[in-house]
Amino acid sequence: MTRLRSWLARRLLLGAAQTAAVVLLVFALTEALPGDAAVARAGDQPDPERIAAIREAMGLDRPAHERLADWAAGLPHGDFGTSLASGRPVSAYLTDGFGPTLLLATLTIALLVPIGVGLGVLAARHEGRLVDRLVSSVTLGVYAVPEFAFGVLLVTVFALRLGWLPPTAVGYGTDLLAHPAALVLPVLVLLSRPVCSLARLVRAGMIDALASPYAAHARRYGVPGIRVRYGHALPNAVAPAAQQLARTIDWLLCGVIVVEALYVIPGLGTVLMNAVAERDVPVVQGLAVVFGVTTVVLNLGADLVARRFAPRSEVVA
Amino acid sequence: MRSRRALGALIVGVPLALALLGPLLAGGPGPRTASFTLGGGHWLGTDFVGRDVWRQVLLGGRSVVLVALAATALSYLVALPVGLVSALTHRTWLEELLMRPLDVLLAVPSLLMILLVAAVLTPGGVGLALLVALVNVPDAARIVRAAAADVASRPAVEALRMQGETWWRTAVGYVGRSLTRTLAADAGVRLTGVLYLVATAAFLGVGVEPDAADWAVLVDRNRTGLFVQPWAVVVPALLIVALTTGANLLVDARLERRKRT
Repeated sequence: MTRLRSWLARRLLLGAAQTAAVVLLVFALTEALPGDAAVARAGDQPDPERIAAIREAMGLDRPAHERLADWAAGLPHGDFGTSLASGRPVSAYLTDGFGPTLLLATLTIALLVPIGVGLGVLAARHEGRLVDRLVSSVTLGVYAVPEFAFGVLLVTVFALRLGWLPPTAVGYGTDLLAHPAALVLPVLVLLSRPVCSLARLVRAGMIDALASPYAAHARRYGVPGIRVRYGHALPNAVAPAAQQLARTIDWLLCGVIVVEALYVIPGLGTVLMNAVAERDVPVVQGLAVVFGVTTVVLNLGADLVARRFAPRSEVVA
Repeated sequence: MRSRRALGALIVGVPLALALLGPLLAGGPGPRTASFTLGGGHWLGTDFVGRDVWRQVLLGGRSVVLVALAATALSYLVALPVGLVSALTHRTWLEELLMRPLDVLLAVPSLLMILLVAAVLTPGGVGLALLVALVNVPDAARIVRAAAADVASRPAVEALRMQGETWWRTAVGYVGRSLTRTLAADAGVRLTGVLYLVATAAFLGVGVEPDAADWAVLVDRNRTGLFVQPWAVVVPALLIVALTTGANLLVDARLERRKRT
């Protein structure tokens, strides 16, 4: 019990340190780099007067630690500063893009776990046979393919050749649920990499678990095959996969940015890319903090789940 | 497994040959014509500014492959010393000082870090390689440290130490050399990840000119003409898919063989 508690304390501490690091890093990368935000904002013809004006508007003339303190103090209250391009608060940008991104993420995660685990268990049950070879080869092949290349090929086949699905979400606004056809390709592309990685891990874990002495022993006692497979082997196979799930959050995040750009979905990824293109530093900072902190929290959650499934396995903390 | 290796080599061979030999075969730029046309002496039609797509494809692989290779090499250049020192040192504070910040960095999404820098600077090809390398350092250093700590606990290292061998000879001559196989395996996995990141960053416009001859940029810029002239998008996209899939199959076949021996 004390070991669990000390592990929990260490893991929570790491999470807090990571959150602080994300905030610091976002600030340092966008403000302390040689390219001054004001100069970058002023564009191709840097006019000294304009740079000075922007600098004053951003408060860049104040020392960096003061600005960091002010900015960081506002974050917990949802005060992310104001956009340079439009003067709107950054939080308004966040609420604008939140809906579509949340929808994409929820759909993807909801489908990811059953499909990934299902494929992994299916391959493990038919180990070495045609089904397994097929699943293993396809998951291995698709695993490393960048989303944009895969997505563009899907558009070519399903929108251009067959005409089954719309090529982009242009014209549907933020209410994507009313147009499920526009969601099929984006979710499919988002699923491609995480499903492959999850299925491979579950397959490997399941094969190990089914070959283990405890599974053999349970079979000798006459425990039905279904219970051995899903009651005993699966939880042990899922533990390493749950940790991998945390890694795939990183991919999902990259994926969301790419998929929103590719299918023109007005979510947080599009807001981020627009802000990067316009060099709207406060908006970029706000989004980066939201994305970064989300990753930290989900990582923490995945570690807790992994610990719950297999308490013996040492989760790094 | 042998068939998987052959398949991987075959799939990766085409884009790799195009990427490395393409620029030699491309020839000079032809006259610009209308955008997104098919035929008219252009084998794959023309792109969004009326250039010959086949020539752009021949030129466009080199940047992806070279930036990815450079980024992988650079990440080890930093990760190796950090990992070796923290595995072999007896000072706990030094190990904590080197490794703890990396643990914390591991949580920051990789593409986010690249986009953050791109919001302030305009990194070129070299800048992109540096950025991708930087993103890979935390994970690579952890793997180096874990493998080196394993080797460092061997009696042979103790014997070397007691013989009074220099730190350099123990660390580089023995521990470093014992790591080569682990690192070769990890480098393959890392390379496929780096290829993904480099291509995705280029697609999002980081580290490349807006009209650069680069497969990822070709896909991005020619998307507007997908319904008129699909070849300008499909061919570079297929080449990227082949490059990443083939590399992954090859790496996996090597890992499998290693596991069995």
